[in-house]
Amino acid sequence: MSAVAALRIGPIEPLPPRPARPIRFVRETLVLVGRSLRAIPRVPERLSDVTIQPIVFTLLFLYVFGSAIHIPGVRYQDYLLPGLLGQSLAFGVIGAGTATVTDFTEGVIDRFRSLPVTRLAVISAQVAGQVIEQVLGISIIVAIGIGLGWRPHLAVASGFELAGLMLFGLVAFTWFGVLLGMLMRSSDAVQGLGFAIVVPLSFLGGTFVPIQGMQVVPRVIGEWDPLSAIVAAVRQVTQGIHSQGSWQLTHPIAAMVGWCALLTAICVPLALHRFRANEGG
Amino acid sequence: MRRTEIAVRTEGLTKRFGELVAVDHVDFEIPTGTIASLLGPNGAGKTTMVRMLATLARPTGGSATVFGHDVVGEPDAVRAAIALTGQFAGLEPNLTAKENLILIARLRGHGRRSAARIVERLIDRVDIGEFAGTPIKSVSGGQRRRADLAATLVSEPRLLVLDEPTTGLDPRSRQVVWSTVRELVASGVTVLLTTQSREEADQLADHIVVMDHGRAVAAGTPAQLKAQIGDQRVDVVLLDQAAFVVLSSALETWFSCSADPDRRTISVPAPRGAADLMAVTEVIASAGVSAEEVALRRPTLDDTFLALTGVPAEGDKAEEQIEVPA
Ligand SMILES: Nc1ncnc2c1ncn2[C@@H]1O[C@H](COP(=O)(O)OP(=O)(O)O)[C@@H](O)[C@H]1O
Ligand SMILES: [Mg+2]
Repeated sequence: MSAVAALRIGPIEPLPPRPARPIRFVRETLVLVGRSLRAIPRVPERLSDVTIQPIVFTLLFLYVFGSAIHIPGVRYQDYLLPGLLGQSLAFGVIGAGTATVTDFTEGVIDRFRSLPVTRLAVISAQVAGQVIEQVLGISIIVAIGIGLGWRPHLAVASGFELAGLMLFGLVAFTWFGVLLGMLMRSSDAVQGLGFAIVVPLSFLGGTFVPIQGMQVVPRVIGEWDPLSAIVAAVRQVTQGIHSQGSWQLTHPIAAMVGWCALLTAICVPLALHRFRANEGG
Repeated sequence: MRRTEIAVRTEGLTKRFGELVAVDHVDFEIPTGTIASLLGPNGAGKTTMVRMLATLARPTGGSATVFGHDVVGEPDAVRAAIALTGQFAGLEPNLTAKENLILIARLRGHGRRSAARIVERLIDRVDIGEFAGTPIKSVSGGQRRRADLAATLVSEPRLLVLDEPTTGLDPRSRQVVWSTVRELVASGVTVLLTTQSREEADQLADHIVVMDHGRAVAAGTPAQLKAQIGDQRVDVVLLDQAAFVVLSSALETWFSCSADPDRRTISVPAPRGAADLMAVTEVIASAGVSAEEVALRRPTLDDTFLALTGVPAEGDKAEEQIEVPA
């Protein structure tokens, strides 16, 4: 640190003229998403949050409980893996929530907000970065599933259908996670609440065993559990398995789109409102 | 030019969180090119105050302007002039210092090349080259603070706001931060810093606002604040109890002094400074006792702080508290 050298950090770097708002929004979002992407390889444990649980469940159900579960006409791998894929969307809530709560409590978001950056870009980048991270996590699950003998029957069209459904689901659940992250004060709290909601819904949602075989109470819950629609939708697209039961199980794709649209419609305005309200506190 | 003479002006600035009044009708001004300090214990409302100035929190009452721009009405203009270093370093822990700086420069609107040039110079300037390539989560607390300071400078701000910039730092890192702040001001930047340390406020600030329970309980230059607490005095510390008794009765015939038998210390008001010090040493000589220590003492900001807030602030020694008039 030299003596009286003034603040002048060098020749003035002129700022390029400020582009129009929509262009700034896109540019700022990309720069901020870049930050999330760079961080991913440096925190492998965050990816494992998304992947370990499905891997453990896969091994457990495939090799421990699998022999006791018989689903007529399907190999258990082909039943289980689409289920895990579907429920992994919901587990994304926990990842997005913890990342968000950390960014808020550690002051990173404050720094972005004290810059002349569009507010919407900060929150959009938060969602986009999380979605990309989850996509990576899900790709790992798919790869491991295929390694363990899962055989999806995907034509080109149904491949796109699956990708579209999963992406929509991811966006919806990530918004939910970001909202949760802004409402809670610590990542432990997010994890606690997240698991308390997602794990029961995942078990009741027919991820591991058919809902039709359950006792009355869990069966009724399971038939209207949003996750059961998602799980059934993925199963229908990847294996052509048609589920029985309530309307949402016999029309799982429409039901999944409906649930995700509902979640988005609720969470996006709330999250945006919360993000602005945060300036009040 | 009138607009730019005052960097910050608040009038009746207030922030409520439900029942709690975190900032309660605070008025102050910071002239351009000076260092102002908000001094107060934990929970005094310092962070809330700077968050409102940085447009991160919305006031519930009163007004604040930064270089003439209203923090509520013209937040973008305020954000363009101000840079805030929060109490918790606002850096992405998984990126390196350099990557963080580039990110900020890009968010300011600079292109890739121009951002890279700015960051190279900054790394030199704040001397963080040795750890600029290490992820922030793996550097020391002091290094992180310096990286954070560098991040604050990316925008070449006109007003630099530092929320407790040296809390938790070792003395050497603290010195580095102090000297950087002084240099910045020498180059024309205005600084607002919050602190719990009177020493820091005394060392750095031209103007101090003492905050407690959301209110500005006192304001002025360090010298003015010290003057509020009373005048300078001579403290005499004696070796043994006998000498203490002899000297206190001798001094009491000349001065209205106060004696503390536990610490064998006699305090004599010394409005005339050195002249009073000489008078006291003459009395000691003629009483025939030997003193362990005779010192002219000016009130420190510690005394002021304690008297105003009733809170023994960070780093205070117990003995300093005893001397403060209640
Ligand atoms: N978002 C908030 N919601 C409710 N109370 C808050 C919030 N932020 C700060 N406070 C309260 O406001 C008071 C002042 O806090 P703060 O400004 O952080 O003080 P300081 O920075 O001087 O330690 C404290 O009592 C604190 O608990
Ligand atoms: Mg604070």
